[in-house]
Amino acid sequence: MANSLKANVTLKAKKEIREEKEGAREMDDTLDEPAEEEDDEEERKARAAARERAAQRQLMTIEELVQTERNYLKHLHLCTVTIHSNLQKLQPPPPNLENMFQHIDEVMDVSSRLLSLLDQTQIHHSDPKYLETLCDSFLSLSQDIEMAYKEYLANYNNITALENSYKQKEALWVEMVRIVKSSAPDVNASTLSFFLVMPVQRIARYPLLLQTIQKHTDPGHPAYPLLEHTAHTAVQINCRINEYKRFREVADKYKKTENLTIKDKINRLSGHSIAKKTARFSQYIKHETGMVPKLKDEEFDALAGFFFVLERGVSELHDNLEAYLHHLQRFLRCRPEEADLDLEGEKTALFSKEITVALRQWIYPSYEERLKTLVFKPLSSLQELMAGPRNLIRKRQDKLLDYELIEEKSNLSFEEQAIANTYKTMNTLLLTELPQFNGKALQILWASLEAFSALQRDLAADMEQLATSFTHQLPHSYLEDGEFWKWAETSVLEGSRRMESLCQSVQDELNAPIVQALNTVCEQRLKALTAKHGSEKIFQLTGPVVGTRDLDLTLNKGELVAVISEMDTRGDRRRWLVDAGGPRGYVPASKLARYHQITSDPPQSPHLNVIPSGPGPRRHSYTPGAQPLLTTTTPCFQVYAGYDFTARSAHEVSLRAGEQVRVVEPHDKRGNKDWSLVEARGQRGYVPSNYLAILPSVIASPTFPYR
Amino acid sequence: MSWIPFKIGQPRKQIVSKTVERDFEREYEKLQKLEEQTKKLHKDMKKSTEADLAMSKAAVKISGDLLSNPLCEQDQAFLESMNALDTAMKRMDAFNQEKVNQIQKTVIDPLKKYSNVFPSLNMAVKRREQALQDYKRLQSKVEKYEEKEKTGPIMVKLHQAREELKPVREDFEAKNKQLLDEMPKFYNSRIDYFQPSFEALIRAQVVYFTEMHNIFTDLTDQIDQGGLTDEQRKQENEAKLNELRALSIVADD
Repeated sequence: MANSLKANVTLKAKKEIREEKEGAREMDDTLDEPAEEEDDEEERKARAAARERAAQRQLMTIEELVQTERNYLKHLHLCTVTIHSNLQKLQPPPPNLENMFQHIDEVMDVSSRLLSLLDQTQIHHSDPKYLETLCDSFLSLSQDIEMAYKEYLANYNNITALENSYKQKEALWVEMVRIVKSSAPDVNASTLSFFLVMPVQRIARYPLLLQTIQKHTDPGHPAYPLLEHTAHTAVQINCRINEYKRFREVADKYKKTENLTIKDKINRLSGHSIAKKTARFSQYIKHETGMVPKLKDEEFDALAGFFFVLERGVSELHDNLEAYLHHLQRFLRCRPEEADLDLEGEKTALFSKEITVALRQWIYPSYEERLKTLVFKPLSSLQELMAGPRNLIRKRQDKLLDYELIEEKSNLSFEEQAIANTYKTMNTLLLTELPQFNGKALQILWASLEAFSALQRDLAADMEQLATSFTHQLPHSYLEDGEFWKWAETSVLEGSRRMESLCQSVQDELNAPIVQALNTVCEQRLKALTAKHGSEKIFQLTGPVVGTRDLDLTLNKGELVAVISEMDTRGDRRRWLVDAGGPRGYVPASKLARYHQITSDPPQSPHLNVIPSGPGPRRHSYTPGAQPLLTTTTPCFQVYAGYDFTARSAHEVSLRAGEQVRVVEPHDKRGNKDWSLVEARGQRGYVPSNYLAILPSVIASPTFPYR
Repeated sequence: MSWIPFKIGQPRKQIVSKTVERDFEREYEKLQKLEEQTKKLHKDMKKSTEADLAMSKAAVKISGDLLSNPLCEQDQAFLESMNALDTAMKRMDAFNQEKVNQIQKTVIDPLKKYSNVFPSLNMAVKRREQALQDYKRLQSKVEKYEEKEKTGPIMVKLHQAREELKPVREDFEAKNKQLLDEMPKFYNSRIDYFQPSFEALIRAQVVYFTEMHNIFTDLTDQIDQGGLTDEQRKQENEAKLNELRALSIVADD
């Protein structure tokens, strides 16, 4: 009932969204600009597409979970039935073969129950209710999953040890490999552990799969809270399985017979035995504690000395552990596994991610927890307890001084008697109890060090097992260490070379001079500047600059300048002094790019019958292959003045932009094509050739093929 | 120049089709996300290795300080064990350093190099956008002149505007095509590029933790023969602490 209600809600929500879209579209129709409505539509489509993609990935991961479970069970079945029976037929059969297959039946059972729960439901994978079913199934079996995998993983070390013992016997091993290969021809396996490691991997895979599904699920999805809970449960299961594994390791080891352990030797250490080694020790104490030992107080001084040395050790250890824990917590706060490089399909990346997730979500956290409980906290408590004796020892010292003053007296006053008693009481108390304190404190110190070592071992064992379980699936695991690193470093070097060359080619494109159509004014300036400063000094503005300080120029993008100095008067190399064809001043060097003149050919003369094959067009810029496409079939051209021109001498004639002119001679008396003799408004004179424009005379037709 | 100043408007003609523009945006968005995630991964890996090294050094300090404590002078057994602990920590630190070096070379440095391509790509996209704006502006200009009366000066200006437009259009088209080509290629290159890094990361951890396991198994066998469970350890610690608390010389604040 609740399910159908949920379905109704989702359907209703969808309908509302659709109605909203339609309403919005109606509103948009009333707007003038059809382009804007398209943009909103685009945005909506893009968002819908992103939702669609997330939904697809979610579906893919759900199906992956189910499919991989099926494959996994199939492989386990293959191993425990086919391979097992074939191995049993060997003569002689491998010793203790049954031990290889302990506990795997329970694992297979719980896996097949999970699959049957999922198969029983009639809902299709893409239905949102399926996710709910998936989570419910997993949660309902979670206790059984934990029990089954717990035993299996606790026993797994025995399996690897046993397989290693088989490896030692060459003949047997060759046979076993042969059987594995022939029983499972489709699988790329050669050892039993290839199959038997799968439960180790599988249980660690559940959290990652569930978290991936969660990542691609909208938080508004009705099953989201349930999914979150399921993912969390999967992590908790792994934590508890690891704890159990450790518990069993320790319990199994305890069956050893006890020899005189180092621990016992420490227990025998007491204040008295220390005091016996006084000679050397009291020297040491003097040095360490600055106390001057008196003969009769040698025993006390030895005890006190030991106490202070112990205190220092505990204090240092406590602080060092604090620092260690601080770095451990910093380590755990980084979460590189969260970076998403869109590599979900890539196997190696996936394995690495699984290792990192396990490391950060249960292996290291439980290490940290154990470290705090079994090492740090006891030491903290111990450190606190040391304050009492320390203070008492100091007080006793003070009382001793008082006592020494009245010691020799035969007749003591009441007060003096009291002082004497106080001192004696303290002294006796300390003499009695300090040895006990020292002994027990040392034991606690010792115990925390033992635990510290054991924790390191356990952490390493967990990580080794997890990381090694992937090795035979990695492409280069067959390489020896030295060769592997050589391969890795070479590949990485190659990759970086490719990146550098890609970077370089993009940079080259960016640094290509800007394409800019040159107009006459620019050409004039270019000529003037080149004549005055030389063509190597010509630069172009890559962007507009606005002068802010004195002597700064304000120029447009594309303007040409000649560089006079590559730094300003104060030596700042970011401000260059330039000549802008008249004004001089500073511009930022970052906005200048060298200007290349690829041809120094004079501009084309306005001949009729223009052949479109000349070297570069009138623009001196970098447009490879660009040609002016003037049609040449019909020489019906008319020459116009492109720009205004003011005659500066009697030989020249003024022009108004747009007026028709007639070209008398396309060069001057010396043959220089830069100047043309034209007739305009009845007058004759020279004008710059590039001020003239050739246009087809049929100007009435706007569709004349210009391009 | 005697140009009549006019507004830089949007050209009437659709320069780049909506589909092409959307494809471009989508590819660029993918690249931007990849840039963000690569930078994040690089930062996290750097921080994580820093903390890892610090942890290891802190562990070495633990054993070093213990070894220099006078307690070692006192007791041969204590000295032996602290020696063993110190040796173990130092060896572990050496392996850790090696692991970090390998990770630096095969994971962290490649991540940086990959990230370094993005600024150039971003700049190329910006330049394409600028070229597009220039293109649109000049296209507008041409269209405006095309609408006017066909007088001489106008025709000249129209001709010039068209000449100005051509190289800008070609420049934009070249940039557009190049980026539409390069962006997906670069995006897909990440798979092959990072595969060695991930494999190296796994391998480095396998080597390190295998060594660490061996070292600490030996050490624990030597100094911790009690083989207690966590519960038992906790109980023993508590018991000893209580015994201490029961002493009169221990303050009862």
